[in-house]
Amino acid sequence: MHTVSFRVNSEPQTVSVPAATTLLELLRDRLHLTGTKEGCGVGECGACTVLLDGAPVTACLVLAVEADGHDVRTIEGEATGGELSALQQAFIDAGAIQCGFCTPGMIMSARALLTRSPNPSDEEIIEAIAGNLCRCTGYEAVVAAIRNASRQLTREAPALLADDEQTKAEKASGEP
Amino acid sequence: MRGNFEYVHTRSIGEATRHLADAEGHAAILAGGTDLLVNVRNGLTTPALLVDIKGIEALGRLEVSENDRTAVIGASVPLNRIAEDAAIRRLFPALSEAALSIATYQLRNRATLVGNLCNASPASDSLPPLLVLGAQIYVHGEEGERVIPLRAFCTDVKQTCLRADEIVTEVRIPQLQDGARTGFIKQQRIRGHDLAVVNVAGAFLPGDKMLKIAIGSCGPTPVLLEPIDLGSHSPETLAEEAVRSAKAAVSPISDVRASATYRSAVLPVLIRRLIARLLDAKGGA
Repeated sequence: MHTVSFRVNSEPQTVSVPAATTLLELLRDRLHLTGTKEGCGVGECGACTVLLDGAPVTACLVLAVEADGHDVRTIEGEATGGELSALQQAFIDAGAIQCGFCTPGMIMSARALLTRSPNPSDEEIIEAIAGNLCRCTGYEAVVAAIRNASRQLTREAPALLADDEQTKAEKASGEP
Repeated sequence: MRGNFEYVHTRSIGEATRHLADAEGHAAILAGGTDLLVNVRNGLTTPALLVDIKGIEALGRLEVSENDRTAVIGASVPLNRIAEDAAIRRLFPALSEAALSIATYQLRNRATLVGNLCNASPASDSLPPLLVLGAQIYVHGEEGERVIPLRAFCTDVKQTCLRADEIVTEVRIPQLQDGARTGFIKQQRIRGHDLAVVNVAGAFLPGDKMLKIAIGSCGPTPVLLEPIDLGSHSPETLAEEAVRSAKAAVSPISDVRASATYRSAVLPVLIRRLIARLLDAKGGA
């Protein structure tokens, strides 16, 4: 058994795990942070994306022991005091959620993107979420949500509203 | 996850090689883990011990000298650090383009360049650019250090000349001559996360009057062609000479990603495209 002392969403945690436990298993099964999802389990789908020292990684391919001494942020760290983050709200407003399984991973990838590049181009957004598969094929709305959140966070509120209207129009025109 | 292994976090190269030697072939080195943990999970490899080398400070170094036009890349440097390094982009674009083409942003935060080399996949994206750059592999084992030219490193599909007690500590790119241009092109089935159907890297070396081309996914290991003499070719015949040389050197197979016929057909296209880029000074290949 190995002792892992790390911070999850700013809270210190110490747990004892076998070497073969993944960070994903530790988060979900031991700490009951089930917002992080397991899709493929082999790093292909991005559903388990979390931030390790601020960098998005697939938690299925990180051993829990490797997180010892590090800082992990999950989807549960997005909302504060019961209030959704602007990024989470932007996903809802843009209709960027269908089944919702990919959403936590998408939001963590987007969070890291907006931290390193507060005004990303659509091309940068697409690159940043290339490792997050959505099988409901809602990528257009996801890109719009991240674009909107970026504008809101950089206080360009009028553009945010205009974009929301455009997104609604796209949805009305039968976009899946 | 599946797997009954032990784990050790090491802090020095000597500590790591000692664990490897003691395990007598039953240990695996854990750097990014993006290949290793998938293989463990799928039961393709069953190491008794994983030796984590990320705590070894010396292996985390990434040093690029713009004056000398050289680079040293430590074994635990993840691909994103290479893809995003401005000096590497300027000096060795073939390498940054290749690094950026591997997997996804999340995986590149873990996956290392050295891990990609040691995995020795025929479809490795980092091998062709480092082959044309003449990279050298620095290796530590119980018997000390040795330096292996990259072209002698991969011996067969997923096989290297490393011994069980050895670890690659770093890759060094020797001095790139002034005026050299390098580039990388990868043909894949989709734009996102996919392995290469065929990849090619090239180095245009006007000082040596030489063109170097390396090809991946067309044989058991990536192939470095014999250097082509720029003096004996016009820009038109240069590409045709490279294509002729490539066809003689490769042995493509059919697999899940492409047929041998398709690989044979697309290879000349990629070579011509790459050479056109390298010869176009304005393109900044």
